[in-house]
Amino acid sequence: MDMTKDKALEDLFLAQKPQFKDNADFMASLTKRLDTVEFIKQHQEATIRRYKMMMVAAFVVGIISGAFAIAFVLSTPAEPLFTFSIQSAFLLWIAENSRLIVSTAIALLMTVGTISIIGNVQDILRMRRQLKMDMKHC
Amino acid sequence: MTREIFIAHVEREQEALRSFLLALCCGNKGDADDLAQDALVKAYLASAGYQDKGRFRSWLFKIAHNTFLNHKASLRSTESIDEARTLVSNAASDSGFEHQDLYLALRTLPPKERSAITLFYLNGYNIKEIATITDASEDAVKKQLSRGRDKLQEQLKMNNGQ
Repeated sequence: MDMTKDKALEDLFLAQKPQFKDNADFMASLTKRLDTVEFIKQHQEATIRRYKMMMVAAFVVGIISGAFAIAFVLSTPAEPLFTFSIQSAFLLWIAENSRLIVSTAIALLMTVGTISIIGNVQDILRMRRQLKMDMKHC
Repeated sequence: MTREIFIAHVEREQEALRSFLLALCCGNKGDADDLAQDALVKAYLASAGYQDKGRFRSWLFKIAHNTFLNHKASLRSTESIDEARTLVSNAASDSGFEHQDLYLALRTLPPKERSAITLFYLNGYNIKEIATITDASEDAVKKQLSRGRDKLQEQLKMNNGQ
């Protein structure tokens, strides 16, 4: 396949090469876009950082509350918290492990509650920041 | 790559990039500059992974070429030569008005042939470099160049009333 350059075409393309007189405007517009990109990137990174912190906090609270729950179970007499009048293997197993089940449920609730509280606090802080920014732009 | 280094590279290469996209957009300066800005933002976001081997321009052209193809795909419209003939040049492309014939002829080429022809004749890349930029094989580039050249010559003759 002949791949030599067509001289006439090459001349036409070279003659077409445009001269740009708005280089400064182009760069200014690009700088603005890059600023926006930077802002979004920083915002995303901050959000991810906060999310990670929230997860760590919830994990720590979960571990502590779990430890308390286990300590509570071990420190109390091994009598079931409740019994069922109906005799069933499953209900019997629940009654035997009632303390452990209740303690685990409490620990879980505390963890979920902590995540929810941290999430709500973050939402409130975000809304306050947004409000401040909106007021600045007004 | 830091932002300062990126900006310095872009200042050096912006005219070549804009010329390339202007040819791909057949003289539509508004579209070409929008695509150039999009491509540069993409390049900036990807610049952390860029290893400087003195091939910044090729790397930038590759991103610009992909941005152009995505833009064409998103338009999903068929542009005929009749539409191109009725195209009114905007003020920004007036400098290229005298070369409207070339832009009209380029408009009849499929995007990949247009890219290959522009990189070959306007930017002076060889077949191997074009293959790298367009992610195609060298044989495919040769075919695109051969077909594109024939179509362009034919179209230019038609435009000149020969």
